[in-house]
Amino acid sequence: MSDLFNKVKKNLIWKSVFRRDYRDNVRDRALAVFGNVFLHLHPVKVRESAVKLRYTWGMGGITFLAFIILTITGVVLMFYYHPSVDQAYSDMKDLEFQVPYGVITRNLHRWGAHFMVIVVMIHMFRVFMTGSYKAPRQFNWGIGVILLVLTFLLSFTGYLLPWDQLGFWAITVGTNMGAATPLLGYQGPFSEYLHITPYNDIRFALLGGATVGGNALLRSYIWHCIAIPLIATVLMVVHFWRVRKDGGISRPQNH
Amino acid sequence: MANENKNSSAYRAYFFAFFSVVLLILSAWVIWDDEFGLRPWKHYQKEYKSLKHDQLVKEYKQAQFEFQRSGGAKRLADLNAQLEKAEAGLKGKGAGEKYEQLNRQLEELQKQAAESQKQLQTVRGKYLETEYYFTRTQKPEYKKEMDALQLQIDAIDKKSKDIQVKQEPIRESIAQIAGNIPAIKAEIEQLNKILEEKKEKIANNEKAPIEIKQFLIKDVDKADRCVSCHIGIESSKQPSAKQPYSKHPLTSVYLGHHDPGKFGCTYCHRGQGRATTTVEKAHGKVKYWDEAMLKGDMTQTSCLNCHGDIKNLRGAETISKNTELVKKYGCYSCHKIPGYEGIGDVGPELTQVGTKVNYTWAVNWLLDPKKYFSTARMPKFFFTQDQAEAIADYLFSMSGSDRRDVDSANIKNDPKLVEQGKALWSQARCNLCHATGGRGGDHSKVYAPDLSKVGSKVNKTWLFNWIKDPNKYFPGTKMPRFRFTDQEINALVDYISSEYVDDESENKYVAPVQIQAASIKKGKDLVQQYGCYGCHKMRGMEMVQVAPSLKAQGVTFLRSDEMREKIGTELSSIGSKPVELLDFGKLKKSMPNDRLSYIKQKLRDPRGFRLGLRMPNFRLSETEVNELSAVLYGFTDSNAPVRFMVPSRQELDKMAGVQGYKFTGDFAKVIADVKCTNCHTIKGIGADYAPDLSLAGSKLQESWIRNFLANPDMIRPLLQQMPKLGLSMGKTPAKVTMPKFNLGTQKVEDTNRSDVDVVVNYFQQELVTSDIPTKIPVIADVAMPEQIAQGKKIYDDKGCRSCHQLGTDGGAVGPNLSNVGNRLLPGFIFKHLENPRKYKPDIVEPNYGFTERERVLLTNFLMTLKISAK
Repeated sequence: MSDLFNKVKKNLIWKSVFRRDYRDNVRDRALAVFGNVFLHLHPVKVRESAVKLRYTWGMGGITFLAFIILTITGVVLMFYYHPSVDQAYSDMKDLEFQVPYGVITRNLHRWGAHFMVIVVMIHMFRVFMTGSYKAPRQFNWGIGVILLVLTFLLSFTGYLLPWDQLGFWAITVGTNMGAATPLLGYQGPFSEYLHITPYNDIRFALLGGATVGGNALLRSYIWHCIAIPLIATVLMVVHFWRVRKDGGISRPQNH
Repeated sequence: MANENKNSSAYRAYFFAFFSVVLLILSAWVIWDDEFGLRPWKHYQKEYKSLKHDQLVKEYKQAQFEFQRSGGAKRLADLNAQLEKAEAGLKGKGAGEKYEQLNRQLEELQKQAAESQKQLQTVRGKYLETEYYFTRTQKPEYKKEMDALQLQIDAIDKKSKDIQVKQEPIRESIAQIAGNIPAIKAEIEQLNKILEEKKEKIANNEKAPIEIKQFLIKDVDKADRCVSCHIGIESSKQPSAKQPYSKHPLTSVYLGHHDPGKFGCTYCHRGQGRATTTVEKAHGKVKYWDEAMLKGDMTQTSCLNCHGDIKNLRGAETISKNTELVKKYGCYSCHKIPGYEGIGDVGPELTQVGTKVNYTWAVNWLLDPKKYFSTARMPKFFFTQDQAEAIADYLFSMSGSDRRDVDSANIKNDPKLVEQGKALWSQARCNLCHATGGRGGDHSKVYAPDLSKVGSKVNKTWLFNWIKDPNKYFPGTKMPRFRFTDQEINALVDYISSEYVDDESENKYVAPVQIQAASIKKGKDLVQQYGCYGCHKMRGMEMVQVAPSLKAQGVTFLRSDEMREKIGTELSSIGSKPVELLDFGKLKKSMPNDRLSYIKQKLRDPRGFRLGLRMPNFRLSETEVNELSAVLYGFTDSNAPVRFMVPSRQELDKMAGVQGYKFTGDFAKVIADVKCTNCHTIKGIGADYAPDLSLAGSKLQESWIRNFLANPDMIRPLLQQMPKLGLSMGKTPAKVTMPKFNLGTQKVEDTNRSDVDVVVNYFQQELVTSDIPTKIPVIADVAMPEQIAQGKKIYDDKGCRSCHQLGTDGGAVGPNLSNVGNRLLPGFIFKHLENPRKYKPDIVEPNYGFTERERVLLTNFLMTLKISAK
């Protein structure tokens, strides 16, 4: 038995992948973190008080979990979805009726999205209430605010993708609000000084046209599936890194 | 502290254990649901398979039984015995050895042949390769190689042929020795096949995969998966009549003309074609899916999506009948409906109505038309007494300035004239279109008013003028101009005004009362608000003579351009209007919120949804509501591809730049006068109440046409009869149904030709086809009497009498042929027998596939059937 165990573990392939042993001592535990790219952003050591659920509620971590779930289910959904006016809604119907595990995949994505929005707001609430935005964490608060906005934008752009009445009108209303932006929207104040018309304003840029149509769908799709997730990932990396650099996860002051 | 930690970690372990189990169960559930819960069609397909299996096994057993009974089994056993015996003879020494040796030789040669075939392929491949290089490079060495290869190919070819030649004598010898063995084997195979085929079907059914089935129409991205459950919809023999296993009703009409592979299911049936998880979802009976599935006759509503003409369209009988209601009630008068443009007004023109009816009658009519007669088409507008009077004032002031009633109590009618009028009434068959006292009015396509109380409605002067020339008062009316003399008209007027009076009628304005300008103004607003001009033509103000007294008070009327718009909602896509756009008003919570229910409720009670609605109540029966709503449901902005569209003849003509058929010359005048097309169709114009006359000239004999127009007699015992139009002769035949129009006694306006001459001439010039020969082939080798006898024999043999009458003998489905020799032209009979459906697609007469000779004989026989004129 132990021979076999040695055979499996004492060779180049195993070592090149795992690189160390799982002995329960400080050095090995630290090495586990050092040597793992996924845990690289994670502090090598965490204080016991930092994992107390009562103080942090674990909301930041749960948000990240939701993001991972959304990424995985989102990629699966992309295999079955065409961002075209003719096919988008039928693809939705096919996911519901035809694709193996389509219902659970789509529902996980949808409910996961709702969940993430809620959790991200609770996370912010907690950070605010514990005063964790104060020095030296001001910068990270700023990053967090941008991430919050990105979360909302992910929700907003994803709304249009089923190409149903709900999404269509939601985007119509939403982008019409954009039309009222000062300077940049054709209905907004001062826009006339920039010669803004319905065909060159911010709404036009969002929709790729003057009405919600095929271009708007494509833009939503690209923002939703590629652009925003990329930006969010980069900012998350910064966010986590800053948590560590600013003295680890926020915890009660007397600890 | 340590203790607490231990406790809490134990607690944590339980916590995780619990949720692990929950997660495990959930995961198992997800897998189960995806495999079975969300795939109910798997169950249906299995069930269908087993039903089909039972059916096929039954068929197999039946075939087996039949095989036994018909001696097939015995024959098979015999053959097997024979084969065994014959094969036994080929064993052992002598012949047996020789046989085996020959077979071995043949086998060897065949092997060689296969070998050289293989070689040939390789060399040919090489040759092609070399040829390719040669064409690219033009290097001579390739050419040389090609020549060498060609030599090889020839050599191998020759070798193959030699082998072939060597095989021949061997084969012959083998066949000689084998004798009838191959024949026996072939027959055995044939016999075995009968049952093998059935067995194979069972096996194939067993092998059929359980899978999603769908009709995919790629260019419109439509996937109808209905067949996943309705698995036997296309089968010719259904294993079960139970849903969802049954086959499609009238398969040949519906699926035959609409290949489901190209049309799918949901263009006709609606519902949610992609859905497969529950019956409700698939049938579209869920929230947020507007298109509930259509079943049964209701599905015919979808014919309207693509078919321009649904009249006489097989399988669309119900919806075709229903569309008549749109015309009957004139929905198109207030609502824009594509395909219903340019149809005449449903109501009569009202500009001169003051010269026609009593004022009191007009007010009562406006209040409630059905009170006057129950079949009135005009809807109830729920006017108050004041409003009704205001409208009546507006209308009456266009032709005068008084509220005026005729003193009907003091009208005197000459009894002698009344008696004469009564005879004329029945001769002219007024009752064919007009009902009186609940009788008559059978011609459902004309909707002439009930005349039971007309004596109390209109005045005698107007009635006289009306009968004399209806077109003058109401251009475009369906009322024919009968060729009565003035004296006859007087008689009819006296008869009508004495016979058909309303005992309860009240006449408030026997002494005329001046109309008030304020009331006219109010009436004008009402006329505009309710769009009376949608159904009733009214001349615009620029063409109305206003009485000077009213003019002085500044009375104005609606201008022509103010009476053009249709006041109702456009109905062109009501059948696909999103439910959210339908205003359920205060009934939102008390009725089902779907489109069809809305349409039905709107028809039942148009103003029930909320205050301020203008649509009047037609007081339709529940049947009419269902029929009409089926039509409205079919007015969709169809998303069906253009290739599905079957434009109407009218549209096709328009596209091709062809003018629709128009009657010409004097005949057009006769038609405009007598309105033949009220009942007959001629060249696609007209109604289907009476026979199509488009080819009458090729079909009918002149003398018969003349006689018939004079005395329209019975041709088809069961069907409706042509009324006697009173075309000239004055006799009253016993069974007359076409009105007597008195044609022939008068000359057509501006000409010196009589009506009948004009009709006959037009028939012979215009309503003919070169398809129908004027002469039929002559049979020279048999004498005429013998031909007639032979024709009679065919008539008897083919059972013609089961549908046609001769005298009083025979069935009453087809026309009575007793006088056919006087009626039809031989060419028509001859051609008609060739293919009865050619000129009348919906005819029931079967095609017997007569030979030309038989047709000549039959024609000759039929032409002898004559009733001599008395």
